[in-house]
Amino acid sequence: MLKTTVAGSYPKITQDKSAPDLRSALNRFSEQQIPEEELEKVYQKTIKRVIKEQEEAGIDIITDGEIRWDDPVTPFAENIDGFEIGGLIRFFDNNFYYRRPIVKSSLVFRDYSTVDEFRFLKENSKKQIKAVLTGPFTFARLSKDECYNDLDRLTLDLAQILHKEAKKLEEAGAAFIQIDEPSFCFSPEKIDLVHEAIRIVTQGLKARTFLCLYFGGIRDLTPRLFDFPVDGIGIDIVSKPENSNLLLDNSFDKELILGCVDARNTRLEKEEDLLKLFEGVAKKIPEDKIYVSPSCGLEFLPHNNALLKMKTMTQAVRKFNHIGSN
Amino acid sequence: MLLTTTVGSFPKPDYLVKARNLFGQKRISELELKELERKATKEVIRLQEEIGLDILVHGEMERGDMVTYFAERLKGFEISGPVRSYGNRYYRKPVVRGKVKRGSPITLEMYHYAQGLTQKPVKAILTGPYTMCDWSFNESFRSRRNVMLNLAEVIHQEAFDLDRSGAQYIQIDEPAISTRPEEIGLAIEAMRIVTEGLKAKTISHICYGDLAAVYPEILDLPVDQLALEFANSGFSNLETFRKSPFTKEIALGVVDVHSPVVEKKEKIKENIRKALEVFPPEKMSISPDCGLKTRKPQEAEAKLRAMVSAVKEIREEIGVAHVMNDRCRSEKTN
Repeated sequence: MLKTTVAGSYPKITQDKSAPDLRSALNRFSEQQIPEEELEKVYQKTIKRVIKEQEEAGIDIITDGEIRWDDPVTPFAENIDGFEIGGLIRFFDNNFYYRRPIVKSSLVFRDYSTVDEFRFLKENSKKQIKAVLTGPFTFARLSKDECYNDLDRLTLDLAQILHKEAKKLEEAGAAFIQIDEPSFCFSPEKIDLVHEAIRIVTQGLKARTFLCLYFGGIRDLTPRLFDFPVDGIGIDIVSKPENSNLLLDNSFDKELILGCVDARNTRLEKEEDLLKLFEGVAKKIPEDKIYVSPSCGLEFLPHNNALLKMKTMTQAVRKFNHIGSN
Repeated sequence: MLLTTTVGSFPKPDYLVKARNLFGQKRISELELKELERKATKEVIRLQEEIGLDILVHGEMERGDMVTYFAERLKGFEISGPVRSYGNRYYRKPVVRGKVKRGSPITLEMYHYAQGLTQKPVKAILTGPYTMCDWSFNESFRSRRNVMLNLAEVIHQEAFDLDRSGAQYIQIDEPAISTRPEEIGLAIEAMRIVTEGLKAKTISHICYGDLAAVYPEILDLPVDQLALEFANSGFSNLETFRKSPFTKEIALGVVDVHSPVVEKKEKIKENIRKALEVFPPEKMSISPDCGLKTRKPQEAEAKLRAMVSAVKEIREEIGVAHVMNDRCRSEKTN
């Protein structure tokens, strides 16, 4: 039986006029037309909708859609002393921009960033749930270092801080913790550093941990990547189709998040193509170790396209499982 | 020397925001909307004249997003739903469905209207092929290269029409150009098609990417001037241009369009002085980092006033220095 998950982010607004409108609530809040409690209500309604949509589509391990995040680094950087939040800069090769954290002094944990939102997800979902962290290496790469002048030390300090976050998430009931490291794909020469950083983050965790790599290739990371101290690895075979062969040509005995539905283009996958792909991968990797997933966060798509992609994906998986069990 | 200008968009007045919403709900006619767009354009032109800017823009009162606006008016595109680009900002992302073609000119009418309102030059503003392609979904089954070169031909037609109508400045915005450094050659090839045979001074605006990744290759982009952001990163990107001489004209972004805080005149002057160590004054214009549409009207106005008065004082400073230099030179030749 194949299972399904999502990479993390999910569109925050819909074109459905009856849905709570987070965009206008945020505008009105910034213009001091509504109090914080009212904005909070809209956030909660939005997250509940996102949970419901994933559950109804039949996703096995869901997230809260990262609805409270403006980008994948600011929510963490805001809770770490030593960071200042800088100007906008492009996030990888997307027409999406994050505020670049600037390292002004040695980084020190101040508060948990995602634990409260994880608790909210836990209280409001019936399915298995996943916490998502931006990994220490990607975090360091996306920051502007004006203090350490040493990528290794910066990465390892962030790893310690994220380990603390991960421990607390585990305490709050997280059975799955995903660590996103897209930057790793573009710096294979840093494999020793990333290995050490991931070891620090995941040390002593009982939760199942996933290392998620999207946007890039794994050619220069294999085969060592498959021995990283995590339970599963997420691979984007859409941005780099050759990743699929690299996966199948190496010995792989972890769990796999198979990022195979393009979350960065509206063109819809054909069910028959997905079924063929599942068949190929399942020949090499046991089905019960595979989580079929979009290639990256679904927030790069408009809401209706994201929903359609998710449904197409789960439908193909259901069909595959049905055929397989006969 | 140190001409002042802006990148393109101005904040829309409340009455126009309302009218655009009503038009979206089909509660007012296109004619009614157009009338208000013209009224707002006139106000933007008057404001720029009054502040004392040298090269004006029409303010893009008729445009929403810089890519979607053109995509909506070209054959071969469809428009999908809203996608977030940062913070709480969204754009309705276009989808390339097939070969892209232009029907009638898109920007000419508004350009003529705006230029007719003032003696100062009005800069015509288009979105470049690399950015049009990169900020759209591609469902056409054609390669990025094919889509980009196709778009370049179409945008050239528009630029050519503007050129023949007498536009002295044509700006082709390429904010996405540094997205994939390995594609810089393609972006340059596409821009060559767009600007071929134009008499106007050509400009390209680039922002919020890692320009260092495509520097100095970007100097081969076939335009006369690059308009770049500096305030957003506190002028730290100035370092990039010390590495290899900057061979084009530069429009220097000195106010941050993503912050409501109005820059202090002295700070702007200090930053311009820093930039003058890297770029010669005769090749430098002064501008905000990017389009002003994300700011409230009073914030945009205050930022531009601070910018223009900073530039006036800097001109006096270096004007004196220039006269001194000239005197030295003439004394030597005598």
